[in-house]
Amino acid sequence: MFLQFMINGIIIGSIYSLVSLGFALVYNTTRIFHLAYAVLYMFCPYIILTFYSNLGYPLIIAFIIAIIITILLSLILEIIIYRPLSKKGSSDNIIMISSIGIMIVVINIVAMLYGNETKILNQNISETLTFGSIIITYTQLAQFLISSFLLVVFLMFLKFSKFGIKTRAMRDDTILCSVFGSDIYKMRIALFTLSAIFAAVGGGLVAYDVGMDPYVGMPMLLNAVVALIIGGIGRFEAPILGGFIIGILQSLSVWAFSARWQDAVTFTLLILFLMFRPQGLLGEKRRTV
Amino acid sequence: MINIYIILTTSTNLLVGMTNLLSLGQAALYGIGAYLAVLALMALHLSLLPTLIFVILGTSLLSLLVAYPSLRLRGDYFVLATLGFQLIVFTILYNWVSVTKGPYGIPGIPSLVLFGDIIISGIIPYLILSSIFAIGVIIIFYKLIHSPFGRALKAVRDDELSAQAIGRNVTALKIWAFVVSSGFIGISGLLYASYVSYIDPTSFNLDEAIFILSAVIIGGTGNIKGPIVGAVFVVVLPELLRFVGLPDSVAANLRQIIYGLMIIILMRLRPQGLAGEYALK
Repeated sequence: MFLQFMINGIIIGSIYSLVSLGFALVYNTTRIFHLAYAVLYMFCPYIILTFYSNLGYPLIIAFIIAIIITILLSLILEIIIYRPLSKKGSSDNIIMISSIGIMIVVINIVAMLYGNETKILNQNISETLTFGSIIITYTQLAQFLISSFLLVVFLMFLKFSKFGIKTRAMRDDTILCSVFGSDIYKMRIALFTLSAIFAAVGGGLVAYDVGMDPYVGMPMLLNAVVALIIGGIGRFEAPILGGFIIGILQSLSVWAFSARWQDAVTFTLLILFLMFRPQGLLGEKRRTV
Repeated sequence: MINIYIILTTSTNLLVGMTNLLSLGQAALYGIGAYLAVLALMALHLSLLPTLIFVILGTSLLSLLVAYPSLRLRGDYFVLATLGFQLIVFTILYNWVSVTKGPYGIPGIPSLVLFGDIIISGIIPYLILSSIFAIGVIIIFYKLIHSPFGRALKAVRDDELSAQAIGRNVTALKIWAFVVSSGFIGISGLLYASYVSYIDPTSFNLDEAIFILSAVIIGGTGNIKGPIVGAVFVVVLPELLRFVGLPDSVAANLRQIIYGLMIIILMRLRPQGLAGEYALK
């Protein structure tokens, strides 16, 4: 049983890592506490629902269309909301509150269009693979493979491409980066695009397994943020590490206590980290946190 | 309900407007107040005044548990810590079934007993009682804002380093602000529990915390009128929408959309809110 819960934890951890990395891409570089990111995660499965269940496109095509539309939404948010605020020099708190505003608006628009109840994408019960005593569904396998693939590709990309170098430069010092002639707002477009892809893929994969309602974004975002804090703000490997830790820990807390205490375990961990190691596992120490 | 929200927003303003601390844990404190009130009323059979004191002290003490660790953090990290607190409290209220009855809630909360056998029940007496409390809280906060304590808080808000340089203990001031504000939020929990006579944890979840914060932000921060405007606005708007004659299911979502849009627009054009004087930073 322990092994089974461990495997479940690793699978869900890979999703947390993916979503958390998307959040980190925006937060580490722009310092936008992008709460509306939760909305992107929730938005993608609904678009899949429209194209796959209602219009009858094949699943893969519907997924790709949904990812593209989610990217568009993300860019609209950046261009209409965040960019003017940041050009105006608004403080982090103001940007975060605006983000809460966006979140409220989009969640309720989706709720008006699709209804508040839970919707499912996959009517069939997923087939399973059995290794000895361990059971994995094909959906879980897909979740793990797709998210790990994206994580690895992204890390390579970050390490070796010109864009990756610029991203790391922007993380370290945005102003210096623009002094050296990089167009910050062009970079931000790319970052918001990438982060939307991660949110959309994560959202789609989870919704295909367990369905969705308009409020699924927030709990996932919170897990992603906790993963980021535990891993540490700064290095892009950190949210991935944090994601796996959270996933395994939650799964084991289901095994040890019950599913009801999952959140309490996660957020106690968050508060412990904030108190004793606010820079996270891989973060560098800063004087003010 | 307006009175309850006025107390909530006025107390939250002490944090947001006076100290520039955004707390997403207000609903947890509101819930703690309500559950403590139920404990005092149903298990200990106290009358109004002892209940009030019990709730204020209890909520303040519990808030100290959050205030102490989280106030050493800044900005986003403080918000996160209060958010974590909010979710932990909610999980405890929801899952500690033997004490809080969890998701089933606690029905049949008795009416408040003023001295001896004068019982407050029915809408009109509650209106009077809650108005007295709301006005009391407003007066206390008015005095507080213009007291040396209030001015010290403003100094911390506007320039933390200078305040520190002239010998103010910044962390202690913030902790005091948090604790005082929590004590008053406890009162609104008490009023809510005895007015509705039934409580369950979902009244005190994260959505409620966001709701309280957005009421403060829409109304405005930093002075007395702002939070009152915010509270009146968020309570009156649903009634207005009902008056327009929208079906309930659409109205609930539409109301939220209006709040959200207002927040976005206000943050862009008027970060101090409708009637506030302090622009958030």
